Amino acid sequence: MSKDPKRMTNTRHRPDENFEPYEPHRRIPWPLIAFAGALGLWGAATLLDSRQDVAAEQAERLVADNLKTGQNSEPGSTLFAARCATCHQPDGMGVRAAIPPLSGSPFVAQGPELIAKILLRGIDGPIRVNNHVFDGHMPSFASTLTDSEIGELASHVARHFGESSQTLSATEVASLRGPAGEDSSFKGGAEIAATSGFSLGDQPAFVSVSAGSLAPEISSLVFSGRGEQWACASCHGDLGQGKETTPRLAGLPADYIVKQLDDFAQGRRLNESMRMVVNTLSDSEKRKLAEYYADLRVPSNARPELGGNLARGEELALRGDWSRNVPSCFSCHGPSGFGVAPEFPALAAQHAAYTTNQLSAWAGGHRKNSSLALMERISSELGDADRRAVADYLASLPPVPAGTSEKTASIGDQP
Amino acid sequence: MNRYLPLSILALAILAFATLLLVIAPGIQISRHAAPPGLKPYTEQELRGRDVYVSLGCVYCHSQQPRSPDQAPDGVRGWGRPAIAADYTYDAPHQLGTMRTGPDLLNVGARLPSRDWHLAHLYQPRAIFDWSIMPSYPFLFQRKDSAGPEDVAVSMPAAFAPESGVIVAKQDALDLVAYLLSLDRTYPAPANALRDDGYSQPVEP
Repeated sequence: MSKDPKRMTNTRHRPDENFEPYEPHRRIPWPLIAFAGALGLWGAATLLDSRQDVAAEQAERLVADNLKTGQNSEPGSTLFAARCATCHQPDGMGVRAAIPPLSGSPFVAQGPELIAKILLRGIDGPIRVNNHVFDGHMPSFASTLTDSEIGELASHVARHFGESSQTLSATEVASLRGPAGEDSSFKGGAEIAATSGFSLGDQPAFVSVSAGSLAPEISSLVFSGRGEQWACASCHGDLGQGKETTPRLAGLPADYIVKQLDDFAQGRRLNESMRMVVNTLSDSEKRKLAEYYADLRVPSNARPELGGNLARGEELALRGDWSRNVPSCFSCHGPSGFGVAPEFPALAAQHAAYTTNQLSAWAGGHRKNSSLALMERISSELGDADRRAVADYLASLPPVPAGTSEKTASIGDQP
Repeated sequence: MNRYLPLSILALAILAFATLLLVIAPGIQISRHAAPPGLKPYTEQELRGRDVYVSLGCVYCHSQQPRSPDQAPDGVRGWGRPAIAADYTYDAPHQLGTMRTGPDLLNVGARLPSRDWHLAHLYQPRAIFDWSIMPSYPFLFQRKDSAGPEDVAVSMPAAFAPESGVIVAKQDALDLVAYLLSLDRTYPAPANALRDDGYSQPVEP
């Protein structure tokens, strides 16, 4: 250091390198503190106050939304919209001469327990509601809805259309399932009145139509086959219930079945096994086979098994996807996918693998027999995930309650 | 090379580690899963048919392992839900297969439940599918002048039928078809089933 005295002398005139500027401490004036405190209090009060406002506003918006969409957040209302409103209409007024109203119905007025029983068993016979007689065909929801869903739905219907304040819990539904669930559908309003003990007015009697005896030559076609052609039942099951890619035939419109058999023969619908089978069938045999399968009724053995998104499937089935010009399934195939004879087959309870297989066949040109090429166009708009979603949803629906004759059968029976 | 002992120990340790992870751990994992209630053990006839399946080398063209929707559209093809480990409880050795020259067969009994269809198809696949490349297996059948009371006759279109007499299935053909019809794993997979879900998310219950 001392070797450079000149530099030492220079630094002596500069300010200290370590000097840090500072300001002497001065207190904040108390009015400022008081003002800030007051602002804080005011802010907190406003915050608390606006919370109430927001809550009120949200509630109002919810009510407005529900009014707009016809929905509300009550338990069971979403289920009602998806499962019941397609036939009984959102306002529960039914369809004149076809679907009984729920609103003002004496059956609904008996409370949620009877409603749950009807949901579990379904109705298959004439029923009188408010002086109108309906040909009742309601599917059983026992296999498609859980106990708590049936409880919510029955309570919702009773509250909405029957002015009942009772609710039904899942355990109560489970106890109804035992005795009521094992039985087949109610044979119209008369049986409901008889078993429930409620006075439900005059109910038309159920006229039992004995199952039309199957002609022996048709029976042998169905159960044992003929010549180079194997039996229908050997693939489609003893009661036309089908499995996987073999379709359920029970309850399909007879005209539809005949058309498909003709289309297999003509090559408008490609299926090598079916082409071989229909080769030897005469027109009258096709008609008789179709009528046999159209009249069969059998519980659903279809399950959603393709891992599809059921919510998306429901969306497609009920409302379609107009961003891709896909109409809803039910707009042609009837409410709840029960089919519209003669052209549109039932979709409900059809096997998911079969449904998605056919959608692929239409899109890929292996099936060219849809009127106006409707299904070809719709199928090619649906992606793989959408096909699986809608097929899985349709497989989860209860089967079509077809015909008027008493042919309820369980899988495994043979006439 | 003068450290035989440490080298041998290292080699054995690597082998033991691989055995632990590839054999013992999966074994423990699989042994915890009981057979699903919907799966029935093979009957004597089905087991004989299984031997025919093995001896004919069906496994070289047919797999028995449907994949999840993210890996292949097997569900859409009607080949069934993705297989789980417990589906193979009674299969020793399993017939998983690696080739799919033909369709997957793990659920063929559900997809094609007709015995007569299978017999006709085994005798001459081209009688049904004119584009089929599957070999025919005429040696599983014999021509007879007329079918006896115990015989199972095979129905054939005229183009493929013999000029006279009937085609009757031998016992091997009947056993093989019995085995094929027993291939039905369409019961629901248990929630805790061991399976390869691919990229798909586990389904919320």
